[in-house]
This record gives sequence, structure tokens and C-alpha cells, in this order.
Amino acid sequence: MSSDSSNANPVNRKPYVQKQSANWWLQNRYYRFYMLREATSVPIFGYALLLIWGLLRLSQGEAAFTDWLALMQHPLMMLFHLLVIAAALLHAYTWFDLTPKILVIRLGDFRVPDRWVKLGHYGGFVVTSAALLCLALLFIKGGA
Amino acid sequence: MSDAKHKMIKITVARYRPQQDDKPWDQRFDVPYSNDSTVLEALNYIKDNLDPSLSFRWSCRMAICGSCGYMVDGVPKLGCKTFLRDYTDKGTVRIAALDNFPIERDLISDIGDFVDKLETIKPYIIRENEKPPSEGEYLQTPAQLDKFKQFSQCINCGLCYAACPQFGRNPEFLGPAALALAFRYNQDSRDQGSAERMEFLNAEEGVWSCTFVGYCSEVCPKSVDPAAAINQGKLASNIDYGLNLVGLAQQPSKTGDQS
Repeated sequence: MSSDSSNANPVNRKPYVQKQSANWWLQNRYYRFYMLREATSVPIFGYALLLIWGLLRLSQGEAAFTDWLALMQHPLMMLFHLLVIAAALLHAYTWFDLTPKILVIRLGDFRVPDRWVKLGHYGGFVVTSAALLCLALLFIKGGA
Repeated sequence: MSDAKHKMIKITVARYRPQQDDKPWDQRFDVPYSNDSTVLEALNYIKDNLDPSLSFRWSCRMAICGSCGYMVDGVPKLGCKTFLRDYTDKGTVRIAALDNFPIERDLISDIGDFVDKLETIKPYIIRENEKPPSEGEYLQTPAQLDKFKQFSQCINCGLCYAACPQFGRNPEFLGPAALALAFRYNQDSRDQGSAERMEFLNAEEGVWSCTFVGYCSEVCPKSVDPAAAINQGKLASNIDYGLNLVGLAQQPSKTGDQS
């Protein structure tokens, strides 16, 4: 079809324009998982706010910060933290899954396989997580 | 297909006749099928034997012309590449025109806008200085070919547009196939026109309307992976933006403009 024929609209034409439904994302598994992936940003946003609030309490002195720490140990807060870490892990998984599509590494004629790119990311993830954990443990030990 | 040993399947076809109907409606048919019957064959059976007024596009029957894209049970598929045997568990299958495109009639989509978009991104090799044919062809190594070959396999069937919720939301979005095609030419070692295409890629309706849903690549019958092309295009667009800031971006040349 040339662009001319699509622009011309003789009287006998009456194309039906399909409108996207508000619940388009419920219509298949692929869309639902995409929306879940995007929704992981919500708990992570909440967590960021929580941390900023913690910083604010810290700036207000020791008592304020201790109150904030005590609140963090409330079962509902623990539950929220679990939700946040689940969201962060799911987000990381989907991110690593998509990375090889964008990060194409060519060494001469050799294209680094997608699996290596993914494994490299998981490797980096494990190493940095372990390093952060060690650092945190060191601080706790040092503080005690 | 009328062989007595053939089993029957119920096929629902979304009909839309512009002269009589205000919106699509479902019509049911009982169609015989065998192990190797395709959705396209079923549609031809319906047209030949049950209702000659049914309209649909098709041509090659072998997944190369890209004409027979329909929604099959809500999933964008090529009719010639989709087998009825995969829908026998339910005993029924629903065929409708591709999502997101205007419906011209029955299963026929108006793809005029899609074709315009393909043309927009200058899908041809642009040279700053064309050398005469007497000087021979532009040579390419297998590695250079490998950079774009996958993205050149597109048959313009439009399944990726039917799969793309961003295109459904905003029909101005250039969409998966056009952006993959732009990327294909930008990656071609013989081409020198990427600066001219960046204008379309960088735009709001270009790569940045994509949120990497990725369903376009999932439904692509030729494994083109438009999502990869678009998101690598975002990288190129970012680099172009950075180079522009420091005044190093390549400017579009006038010589290659054939439009």
C-alpha cells in the first residue's frame, strides 16, 4: 500500500480504529510480567524515602535516630524490607536478562556470547554484594 | 480438507464490514483440520466453503511475504506459520485483525501508516560520494555483515506493532520494525547516512518511546529481535547526544538525501 492510497479516504472506506483498553496489560503473561518488572520501582522508591527519612532523623540527634532504628524493627517494617529486597532481586534478574541484548561485545570476529555477558553481571553482583556485606560486618564489629 | 478422517475445530473470526458494521463482531465456523493444517488454510476453507464474504490478506503461504498477520487467540501470529493442532486442547481458536492497526475490513489491517514509517527512516544505503559501478561493489567482511544481518531479515508483517503496547498507546511512535530497520542501515559498513537517521531515532517518537517491553521480539516470526535493535539504538542516541554537547556529532550531509 502506498502512502497515497492510505491518505486518500474515498467514501466507501471506514476503517475501524482500535483503542488500547485500560487493562491491556492483563491480557497475556508477557505483559503481566513486564508490569510486575516496572512495578518493582514502587517498593524501591518507598525504601529510598525510608532511607532519606533515616538520614533526617540522624541529623536530629541520637535519640531521634534510635527511635527510627526501633521503628525499623517493627514486624511490618521487616515485612516491607522483605518486599523491597524481593523487588530489587526481581528487578536485577530482569535487568541482567535484558543486558546481553544491548551490550554486544565484539572482539575482532568473535562476538562474546550472551551467556557470558549475563554470567559476568551475576559475577559482579555476587562480588559487590559480598564486599558490601563484609564492609557492613566490619563496621558492626568495629562499632561494638 | 473435507476428508472424512479429519477432525473438526471451532473457529471464531472477528468480522468487520465497514458498510454494515460499527464495530467488529464474532462469527463462528466449524472447520475440518488435519495435523498440518494452518490458520491460513482454515481461513481459505471458510472463504471457499462457508462464507465467501470473509476478507483477509495472504500470499506466499511460507512466512516470507508477511501478509497474513492476525491475532490468533490474542497473540500476533502469521496465519501460514500457525498450526491448528496447537489449539486442539481448547477445541476452539479466535482469529482477529492485528491489534493496534485500524481495521480496513474483517482481518485486513490498514498498514499505510506503518509503511510510511518504514520509509521515514531512509531504509537504503546512503553514501557521501557514490562511486561509479565500474569501480566495483562495496566489499564487506563476514564480521561486518554479522553486525546487521539479523536485523535485515524483517518481512514487514507488522506483528511487532500489534505486540507493542507503546505503539498501541501512541500511534506516533515509529515502532519496532522501523527502528530496527534504521538500526540495520546504521550498522551497515557500506552506509554513511546514520547522521540523517539519528534525527528520527533521537526524537520522542523514536527509540525513547520504547520501554523495553520486549514482546515485539517474542512474536517476531523471523527472530529479528527489534527490541535489541531499538535499545542498542538508545545507546547510539546517547552517544550522539553526548557528542552533540561537545560539538563533535556528525552532521547530516545533503549529498545522500534522496527524499
